[in-house]
Amino acid sequence: METTDLNLFVRTSEETLSDWDRTKIVDALVRETLIDRETANEISKEAERLIRTSNIKVVTAPLIREIVNAKLIEKGLEGARRMHTRLGMPIYDVDNLILHPNKENANVPHGPEATNLTLAERIKKEYALLTVFSQDVADAHMNGDIHLHDLGFIDRPYCSGQSVEYIKRFGLDLPHSLSMAKPARQPEVLLAHLIKFAAALQSNFAGAIGWDAVNIFFAPYIQGMSDNEVKQLAQMLIFEFSQQAVARGGQAIFSDINIYWEVPKHFVDTPAIGPGGTPTGKTYGEYEKEAQRFAWKLFEVYKEGDGAGRPFFFPKPIVHITERFFKTPGHMDFLNHISDVAADKGNTYFVFDRGETAKISECCRLSFKLDEHDLRDAQEPWRMRYCALQNVSLNLPRIAYMAKGDDTKLFKTITDRFVLAVKAHKEKRAFLERLLALGENGPLSLLTMTRDGMPYLRFNLASHLIGMVGLNEMVQIHTGEELHKSKKALKFGLKVIAHMNLLAEKMKRQEGLRLLLEQTPAESTSYRFARLDLRYFSPASGRVVKGNIVTGEVYYTNSTHLNVKEFMNPIERVTQEGIFHPLIEAGSISHIWLGEAHPTKEAIADFVIKTFKHTTNDQIAFSPEFTTCNSCHRTGRGLTDTCMYCGSTDVDGITRITGYFTKVSSWNKGKLGELKDRYRNAEFFVDNEIAVNQ
Amino acid sequence: MGIVKIFYKDSCPMCPMAKKLKESLIEKDVGVVDFNVETVEGLAEATFYHVKAVPTVLVEDEKENWLGEWRGNVPHIEEVLTLVNGV
Ligand SMILES: [Zn+2]
Repeated sequence: METTDLNLFVRTSEETLSDWDRTKIVDALVRETLIDRETANEISKEAERLIRTSNIKVVTAPLIREIVNAKLIEKGLEGARRMHTRLGMPIYDVDNLILHPNKENANVPHGPEATNLTLAERIKKEYALLTVFSQDVADAHMNGDIHLHDLGFIDRPYCSGQSVEYIKRFGLDLPHSLSMAKPARQPEVLLAHLIKFAAALQSNFAGAIGWDAVNIFFAPYIQGMSDNEVKQLAQMLIFEFSQQAVARGGQAIFSDINIYWEVPKHFVDTPAIGPGGTPTGKTYGEYEKEAQRFAWKLFEVYKEGDGAGRPFFFPKPIVHITERFFKTPGHMDFLNHISDVAADKGNTYFVFDRGETAKISECCRLSFKLDEHDLRDAQEPWRMRYCALQNVSLNLPRIAYMAKGDDTKLFKTITDRFVLAVKAHKEKRAFLERLLALGENGPLSLLTMTRDGMPYLRFNLASHLIGMVGLNEMVQIHTGEELHKSKKALKFGLKVIAHMNLLAEKMKRQEGLRLLLEQTPAESTSYRFARLDLRYFSPASGRVVKGNIVTGEVYYTNSTHLNVKEFMNPIERVTQEGIFHPLIEAGSISHIWLGEAHPTKEAIADFVIKTFKHTTNDQIAFSPEFTTCNSCHRTGRGLTDTCMYCGSTDVDGITRITGYFTKVSSWNKGKLGELKDRYRNAEFFVDNEIAVNQ
Repeated sequence: MGIVKIFYKDSCPMCPMAKKLKESLIEKDVGVVDFNVETVEGLAEATFYHVKAVPTVLVEDEKENWLGEWRGNVPHIEEVLTLVNGV
C-alpha cells in the first residue's frame, strides 16, 4: 500500500500517533460535507501526494485538514471547505491569552479559569459565525456594520429577569443536580437557594440575571426578625453575590436586584408565599413594613462598602421611583438614604416608572414594560421570568460615512442594517430552538424544566434587542453638528431613533418577534466600531472618532448619549438625553460622572425628584471614582497614581465602566479614552451645594 | 405671530377635529404645521415635545418659545388665536 510506504505518522486530535490512512480523509469529507465519494477520493490522493513530496516527518491532523481545505478551494468547492474547516487558535494567540489579561469584558479577572472561558468563547464565536448565521450576517459582523453581542455564548440566551418566588415555591430542584432541596423555611436558607440558583442560571445565560422586587419577596421571611438580624441577612446577600467569583471563568455573577419602597401596585393583592413554600394567608401589600426594613438595611450595607471601603461591584441595586413611591410614607427618608449611597459609593440606580407603567429591569439597562398578560402573571409571580435571546447593535457612524450627506440614502441604509439585524435574530432564535428541543437531555436542560407546568424559559415571550452605537457621531458626520450643539442636530438624532422605533414596530408585526430597541452598553463595541471605521473610512473617520487616535484610545459615543466630554449642567444633560428614552423601549440610562465630587444626599435626592418630575429620562446613576490601596487596604476618592493614605504606588482605580463598577486597569483602550474625556460635573456639585437649581 | 403645531394619528376619534382646527387657522392666516405621529418626522417631533396623547396642539412664538398647549384634546379656535396673537 502506498500509505504504509510513506512511513508517516499522523498525530491525531486524540493525542495519539496513528498510522497514515488516506481513507480517513475520504471518510471525513463524506461525513462532514456534501461532496461525493469519488471527488473525496481524488482530493485525498492529491493531498497525500503533496504530503509525500514535502518530506514532512510528522503530520498533524490540523495540517492534513488545511491541506485538504486548500485542495477544496482549488476545485472551487468553497461550500464544502466551510463545512470541513477547523476551528481553533494559533499557538501565538493561545500563548498571549494564557499570559496576558483579556480586556473584552472587564468583569473577567485574569487566571486559568478565565483563560478557559476565553478559549471556549473563541471557538464558539467562530462556530457561530460559520454555522449559526448566514454569510451576509457574519460578514456584516466581521466588517463592523453591525455587532452580534456575546457570540462566544452562542448556545445560550442573552440575559434574563427572574423571580425569587420560583425557588420559594418549588425549592431548588434543578435537572441533573445531585440533591433536591425543598422550599426554604429560614431566610438564610432561602438566600442560599437564591445564590445557588443564580449561579446555575448564569451558566445558562450570556449576560445579566436580574431579580425582581427582591425586598418584597423576602418580606414574609423577615417578619419577627430583629433589625440586627435583617442587617445580617442584607450583608449575606450582598457579600454572597459579590464574592461568587467561581461560577464562570472567575467572573462575578452579573446580577441586579430590583428594590421598591412601596409594594408595587401589581403585587399589592398577590397572595404572599412564606416559609416552606406555603401561602401565608396575607397579601404582599400587607408586608410593606418588612419589605422596607430589608430595603433600608441593604442600603446600609452598600453605604459601608466592602472590607476596604470599596463599593460592591455586584449585585447592582435598582430602585424603582414611581408615582406610588411619592405617596408612600417614609419615602423622603428612603430617598435620602439611597441618595447618600449614590453620592458616597455610587451603587444606586434610579429607575423611573412614570404613569401607570410597571417595569422590570435587568442586564445593564434592559427593562420590560409589563403588559396585561404580565400583570395577570403578577398574581403568581413565579411565572414572571423574562429573557432576551440576543442583542445586535448597529454601527450608526458608518452609515453616515456611506450616505455622504444624502438623507434618503442614510435612512435607507439604516433600514437595510435593521433588516439584517432582524435576520440575525431569527437565525439565533432558530438555533436556540434546536437546543431547547433536546429537552432535559439537552445542553439547556435547566431552561426546559417544567416545575410549574410550563418550560422555565418562556420562549414565546422572549425578546430580541436591537441597539445603536454612536448616534452622536452619526449626526455629527451627517449634519456637521454634534447632538448637544443645536436643537436642529438633536431633532435630527430623534428622527434617526424614531425611524428605528417605527421599524421595530413594523417588523414586530411582520415577523411575529418581540423586537425592542435598547441602549447597548457596548463596552467593547464602541471601541471596535471606531477602530474598524478608522481602517475603512479614513480620513473622514479620523475627524469624528472620540478619544486619542495617536494612542489608539478611540471610541464612539455610546448609544444615544451626548458627548461625554461636553461641559454641561447635569440636569440639562439628563433632560436632553432623556428626550430619546421614550423611543427606546427596552431601556436607557444617563450617567452623571462625579469624579472626586461628593454631593450631599439632599442634592442627589433633589436631582432625582427633578428628573422624575420634569424629564422623560428612564434611569440615572451617579458615578464617583475611587483609588483603593493594595498595601494599606484603604480607599480614597478620585483616581490617583499613589495611595492618599500611605503613598504606596500599588493602587487600583475603580469606577463605573458602562453598567457596573470595576477596576480601571482591566478596561479596554476605547473605554480608557472615554474615561479621560468624561466631564465630571465638579462645578455643579461644589461645596456640598448643588448648583443645578436655577 | 405664534406658530401652531398639531399632532395627530390617522386612527384617533378626536383627530378630525384637530384637522378642522388646522383648516380654520389657515383661513385666518395663522402658521400651522401638523405632524402624523406614525411617521418618522411626526414621531421625532412628538418625542421632542413629550407628546404622549393625540391630538395635541402646541403654540410657540417665532423663536420656538412655548406659549401654550392642549394635550389630548382640541381647543376652541378663539383660545388658540388669543395665544397666537399674544394678547
Ligand atoms: Zn495605602
